[in-house]
Amino acid sequence: MTTFIIRRVFWTIPVVLLVILMTFLLMRQIGGNPFRHTERNVPAAIQANLEKKFHLDRPWYVQYAYYVKGVLTFDLGPSMSQRDRTVNDIVKDGFPRSLKLGLMAFLWALIVGIPLGVLAALRPNSVFDYIAMFLSSIGFALPSFFVATLLIYYFSVKLGMFPTSGWPNSFWAFDKRLVLPAFALGLFPMAYFARLVRGSMLETMQQDYVRTAKAKGLRYRRVILLHVLRNSLIPAVTATAPLLGLIITGTFVIEFIFSIPGIGRYFINSVSNRDYSVVMGITVLTSMIIVVANLFVDIMYGVLDPRTREAR
Amino acid sequence: MKKKRLLLLVTGLFGSLALAAAGCGGGGGGGSSSTGGGSTGAAANQVMTIGWGAEPPSLDPGLATDTTSSNVLLNIMDPLVRLDNENKAVPSLAESWDLSPDGKTVTYHLRKDGKWTNGDPVTAKDFVYSWKRTLSPDLAADYAYQLYGLVGAQEYNSCTKNCDALAAKVGVEATDDSTLVVHLTSAQPWFIQQSAHTAFLAVHQATVEKFGDKWTEPQNIVTDGPFKLAKWEHEAEIDLVKNDQWRGAKDVKLTSVPGKIIVDGTTRVQAFESGEVDALDGGGLPPDEIARLKSTPEYEVYPSLGTYYYGFNIKNISDIHERRALSLAINRREIIDQVAQGDQLPATGMSPKGIAGFDTINPNSPWTPENGDQAKAKDELSQAASPKKNINLFFNDSPGHKEIATAIQAQWKQLGITTTLKQQEWAQYLQFLGPPPNSAVDVYRLGWIYDFPDAINGLELWTCKSGNNNTNFCDKNFDDTVAKAKETPDDTARYQIYAQLEQMLFGQDGALPITPIYWYTFPNLEKLTVKDTFNITPLDQIDLTKVVVKG
Repeated sequence: MTTFIIRRVFWTIPVVLLVILMTFLLMRQIGGNPFRHTERNVPAAIQANLEKKFHLDRPWYVQYAYYVKGVLTFDLGPSMSQRDRTVNDIVKDGFPRSLKLGLMAFLWALIVGIPLGVLAALRPNSVFDYIAMFLSSIGFALPSFFVATLLIYYFSVKLGMFPTSGWPNSFWAFDKRLVLPAFALGLFPMAYFARLVRGSMLETMQQDYVRTAKAKGLRYRRVILLHVLRNSLIPAVTATAPLLGLIITGTFVIEFIFSIPGIGRYFINSVSNRDYSVVMGITVLTSMIIVVANLFVDIMYGVLDPRTREAR
Repeated sequence: MKKKRLLLLVTGLFGSLALAAAGCGGGGGGGSSSTGGGSTGAAANQVMTIGWGAEPPSLDPGLATDTTSSNVLLNIMDPLVRLDNENKAVPSLAESWDLSPDGKTVTYHLRKDGKWTNGDPVTAKDFVYSWKRTLSPDLAADYAYQLYGLVGAQEYNSCTKNCDALAAKVGVEATDDSTLVVHLTSAQPWFIQQSAHTAFLAVHQATVEKFGDKWTEPQNIVTDGPFKLAKWEHEAEIDLVKNDQWRGAKDVKLTSVPGKIIVDGTTRVQAFESGEVDALDGGGLPPDEIARLKSTPEYEVYPSLGTYYYGFNIKNISDIHERRALSLAINRREIIDQVAQGDQLPATGMSPKGIAGFDTINPNSPWTPENGDQAKAKDELSQAASPKKNINLFFNDSPGHKEIATAIQAQWKQLGITTTLKQQEWAQYLQFLGPPPNSAVDVYRLGWIYDFPDAINGLELWTCKSGNNNTNFCDKNFDDTVAKAKETPDDTARYQIYAQLEQMLFGQDGALPITPIYWYTFPNLEKLTVKDTFNITPLDQIDLTKVVVKG
């Protein structure tokens, strides 16, 4: 297991370098002047000063070298549009908030989605099953921004139960502002988990070893929890990695609508503003998260399914 | 059996209840509305929450480029002059000013009671330091060009070596603590009004030098205006409180102005309607909601100094008759009422209503009838030798432009002209347009928001060398007349020259390089408790010292 982890960590390095290179090339390709935000053209002297300040007057490989050096020294550079802040500041402020949003959405998806799927599988084709799958279909079909706006309209404006926007500053603070965004973001993963768990449980319950366990006289609860559920969770765990990617990109939209000051919303703005250093910094961060998440999933896979462990 | 199922069900439900309970604990969002007493007059609690539409990219006057920064800065700092509702300069930190006979030297006499929040007095030296800092190439200030009217400014800003020597030559000096002398490259009659812009604010030298980039953080910042920066949680909240040490503090009624930064237009409106903010910042309302919001008593619309226009590439659409036809066919009233819906004003020239001298300057162009004139348009088109029948219309992807373009496409179809709409992302669009003007463009959409309230700001766009002229229009006569206007300090005489310029563009024999469509407005939402005193100037500024929360 240890060699496995070490090998995977080593692979992260070329992955990150490749991500930097692709992002760099793509951002240059889309063109646009990072210093011109209004229709007013930037006078030549000012354009020259700004390019000099942000190294944009150097050849592309020199700029690339600056970025790589920045990533390796954890100094992601100054922001081109927010002149008083560095990318490190922005990430330090925004990342915990996005992380919290993502985690809460994920938790809510797990806590509601998995039991929903389990219960639906235990009573297949019953009223409960139909209702559960109907809710799950809604979660699939409705885009998160639509749900978000509806939620704000009904629960904030009409009923006044929750604030329309905003986010608590400290990571450990919990208040009303967390509820609607986490719900909107977690709806799709919840639906995904529910369906996935239901499907794999139904399939697992047909297996011979389950029949054997029941025939042996084991208690129903032990059969379900230890034998059926544990094996049914493997597809759910596998799905977590791509779902995490979905949640991360989903935060962009949710953060924008709820005015949550996380890095997702920032990322969108930086692309429009052509703020190269911020785009680069956040892309690198996001890709490292996904790599770490995939590693975690693979480890969990090993924990849940001993057969994969032996193969190593 | 049943017990186990029940257990699982209950566990699942508990999970979601726990989440909801966690959400219900703790305080709610920030921001307090004003609570009034029963009588009319000022409320006891003079607190007003604003919904800002964007995070200010910087609160450094040298680096601030957008409206949110500018609005916050003009309330926490003390400018030399302010602009009143007629865009005339009124004394602020400068209690009076003199112009030399040739108009090239401006002397500001500063008040003696200006004070920084750390107790230091505000002196003319602060302004000298700050203006030179804004012009320094190291700072790479976007708005350095606002100071280009000063002697030696452009040279200093574009210097690559020997910069200190050039800095000493910049035409601003403090002859004593309360006298600021400015030397201009030419007589610029609008300079005093222009100095109300944030680029001309002073910063506290010791603070800037001590904290570098971080000097604008609330714990470091030193300001000299009617309000102080109490809290700035980036991207989330920016709170101002009254500065009791300010020279005019006794007339300022608001004690605190919390601000929530809400970027999405729909969410901003929802925040207003649920009572979380008392006023929005004039940054615009979502186009599809305007129709509904207009009928609410909280709706207010302000004139703005800005022109929305369609520019012609006169190399592609070379026949003046065709340009006239295209301009005549546009039904501006229909576009304003049905599409834009922001109570904008139909444009009859470049300089918008509200600009000083509008009545003299406005040409009331015969080519921009309010309801369009299809008959006259067809007539003009028939006089064109070989008009271009297939036109490419370019515009950017911000909300509203596509709908306007589609409406105009239909109006031009009636003339027999087929328009292909081409939409682009903003930054790419700007790069695509040029300069030099892109030959693939026949017609393009742009707007121009005025920097200062003088018509020259919009008219000089159409000179040959202007970086904002994508029309290929280049007329030496026009350029010479613009130069003449810049040398005319007498307002009345200068407005006559502006009128001439407008005639050259939009008059009976005007060249029509662009067709102006409407003059911008700021639609806004304000609670009735603040609506009377909360105002947005045509240059998109909010003066918080004037706001009083009604009881």
